[in-house]
Amino acid sequence: MKHQAARVVLIGLSAATVVLLAMAPVAHALSVQVTTVQASLEGPSDAQLLPFRPRLRRLVGYRAFRVIRVESRPCIWRTQEAFVIPGGRLLHVLPKGMREQAVVMQVQLLEGLRSLVDTDVRLQNRGVMLFGVDPERGPADGVLIIMLKAEE
Amino acid sequence: MTCAEAEQLLDSFVDAELPGSMLLEVARHAGSCPACDQAVREMTTLRESVERVVRRQVEGVDLSGVWPAVERRIGRSGTRGVWRHVPRQLPVWGAVAALAAGALLWLRTPQPETVRVTHARPNQAVIERLVSSEGARVGIMKDRKYGTTLIMVSAPGEDTGQ
Ligand SMILES: [Zn+2]
Repeated sequence: MKHQAARVVLIGLSAATVVLLAMAPVAHALSVQVTTVQASLEGPSDAQLLPFRPRLRRLVGYRAFRVIRVESRPCIWRTQEAFVIPGGRLLHVLPKGMREQAVVMQVQLLEGLRSLVDTDVRLQNRGVMLFGVDPERGPADGVLIIMLKAEE
Repeated sequence: MTCAEAEQLLDSFVDAELPGSMLLEVARHAGSCPACDQAVREMTTLRESVERVVRRQVEGVDLSGVWPAVERRIGRSGTRGVWRHVPRQLPVWGAVAALAAGALLWLRTPQPETVRVTHARPNQAVIERLVSSEGARVGIMKDRKYGTTLIMVSAPGEDTGQ
């Protein structure tokens, strides 16, 4: 009986170890969210963007904001992740590390193979970095705004 | 009504999207609060500028005259923006963003260029390094009120007339 109990404990411990090992990379990961927003002169705005609307308005002047794509996924330190931006562009995000209680990330906006902008940004928890991308078909179509957020 | 309450409603106020009673309350508050009144004026001016610029662009009018106006406005708002490589033909939405409150840094780079920008303020995004590619126009906007940072990228194809 004693023997059996010991075996159960041992199996339990091994299973726990396996689970912990499997979780290890996840535990070191960071959650990165990339939201692409279409800003236009008129029309309705999405409810989820209403809290953010005043600052978007102050920055770009457009008044209607609609989410056109949201991608959220765990990123591993020093590992690059590619996020698709509507309009044929890619956002490469590489979490480099923590500094002054903020996440330092290398962010690159690519158009095909061409890197349009390559930057290191330091983002605090819940901080948002914005990228504006010029419209493809002229200003009447508005601007694409990419909202980048990282959470530990 | 407090400033914080009014602030949440200011853009709906500017767009006349508030019900009558609320509209009146915000108007009353703004009437006695210089900060909110100023915010309403800025938002109204910005909205009008965007609409005007877009309308002109749609009508095919040359926008080369927009830049001096933008520059004057930024000079007036007392922002400490650094100016380089001011593009000859400003992209329309760049002009629009330049009209917004904040500091602007325009870069037009015949060669990739590195800029170091660091502003340590809490709960904000800080740009530590920025390299823009050949032909791409990059502008940095910082809104002082909310501390939001926006990097604007305009890449009108490979031939940029440089
Ligand atoms: Zn007020």
